[in-house]
Amino acid sequence: MTTTDRIIAMLVKDFKVDPDRLSPAGRLEDIGIDSLGLAELLFNIEDEFHLKLPDVPLDLATFGDVVRYVDEQIAAQSTLLTVDPASAQDTQVVP
Amino acid sequence: MMRVAVTGIGLVTPLGHSTREVFESACAGRSAIRPFVGAATARLRSPLTATVQFDAAEHFDVQQQRLLDRVTQFAVVAARRAIADSGGALTSLDRDRVGVFLGTGMAGIASMDDGYRTLYADASDRIKPTLILQGMHNAAAAWIGIENRLTGPNLTYSTACSSSGVAIGEVWLRVASGAVDLAVAGGSEAPLALGSMKAWEAMHTLASSDVAAPSASCKPFSKNRSGMVLGEGAAIVLLEPMDAALARNATIHGELIGYGLTTDSSHIARPSAQGQASAMRAALQSAGITADEVDSINAHGTGTLANDVAETSAIRSVFGDRAGVIPVSATKAIHGHLLGAAGAIECVLALLAMRHRIALPTMHLEQSDPECDLDYVAKVARPGAAGDIMLSNSFAFGGTNAVLVLRSSQ
Repeated sequence: MTTTDRIIAMLVKDFKVDPDRLSPAGRLEDIGIDSLGLAELLFNIEDEFHLKLPDVPLDLATFGDVVRYVDEQIAAQSTLLTVDPASAQDTQVVP
Repeated sequence: MMRVAVTGIGLVTPLGHSTREVFESACAGRSAIRPFVGAATARLRSPLTATVQFDAAEHFDVQQQRLLDRVTQFAVVAARRAIADSGGALTSLDRDRVGVFLGTGMAGIASMDDGYRTLYADASDRIKPTLILQGMHNAAAAWIGIENRLTGPNLTYSTACSSSGVAIGEVWLRVASGAVDLAVAGGSEAPLALGSMKAWEAMHTLASSDVAAPSASCKPFSKNRSGMVLGEGAAIVLLEPMDAALARNATIHGELIGYGLTTDSSHIARPSAQGQASAMRAALQSAGITADEVDSINAHGTGTLANDVAETSAIRSVFGDRAGVIPVSATKAIHGHLLGAAGAIECVLALLAMRHRIALPTMHLEQSDPECDLDYVAKVARPGAAGDIMLSNSFAFGGTNAVLVLRSSQ
């Protein structure tokens, strides 16, 4: 499954979102995901994708933003783990 | 000051969910106290509770279930039932003039317990982003307001075991003075999480199990009482000016005619007979009645060693020679101690008792403590004995004593 498919499955299961209403440009607030919902979604994404997401304010407005952000984090954290799993969070990595 | 009518009742209790079911259980003395069954059973000295049969999925969608702690779920469902029972009290009102006034002692303790478990037991640094919103004390009142678009005052009272007695009493002041036109008031509690149960156990306030009959373990005013049993649930009432209730031809469950509130300010946990008596006197004074006019009492009656003696002494102090002939009911023997919701469920039971003219029994009272020498309506309901004016007592750790004066709708 792609990142998109997995996040769609989460939105359907946890937020009862109609998958037909999802598009990359679709705004999260239009499918009932407010700031609290986004926080919940990201929390669940950490579990689903075995990621540790940075604790910083995010500007994720659309479904496409979320998918892109998760793919970026997967790529970044895969690289980190390859370099040094023990200190991955604190390591500056040049791609 | 306007007269204040109770025109809606909504319940989510260990005794059941409808007023009829709850009142019939109370009359029959059917105890909802059972051995607690759960992963933590083996870690409890006396695993007894009075739990609510409740399926959240019947009332809330998956997002709400995640966001609403059990205490809030109880409160919201009880409020829905009270509003439905009122026969349209909200229909034509300005929602800015409608308030929510709720009591809870421990609020979303189960959610907090679970969140802390992940921190300490699982050594995780991740906490659900909803935890604060689940655990905060005003969550239940807030959700009642949100669901019904009630934009007047929205207040939560947390005075331990008198929380909902205080909430209902404070509403009396506001409705009687015209500060609000309608109030959703009562209490909710869902304290049956391991951390909470162990904390209550550590205080040595919980009853030891009656081996022969676990459901009879809470024995208010008995010589062999050993403490209280934790319960959960919610009770909500709707209060509005009597004239408004009569004008819309509402069913009137009873009238709230007085409220006494005092504070012991002497000991954080030990009850004060003087403080309790002062609250009863203040309640009578606010109602403009004398002690001679009180027909019966719903006692705080926890079944703890300290409370029952102090409350007996307080009642004697207020009622003098008449104290021994006033029917006193302690219903915690069958629904457990609902802590912050106790005052509300007992207020409802008092109203129902007067409406049906039946003094409710104090169950499991075989032999009174020599220091508890009142007429406790032992074990069998007493038809015709509730009368037309009742007190409902709620006392608390922290010393907050709340007494409601209720009048029959008959």
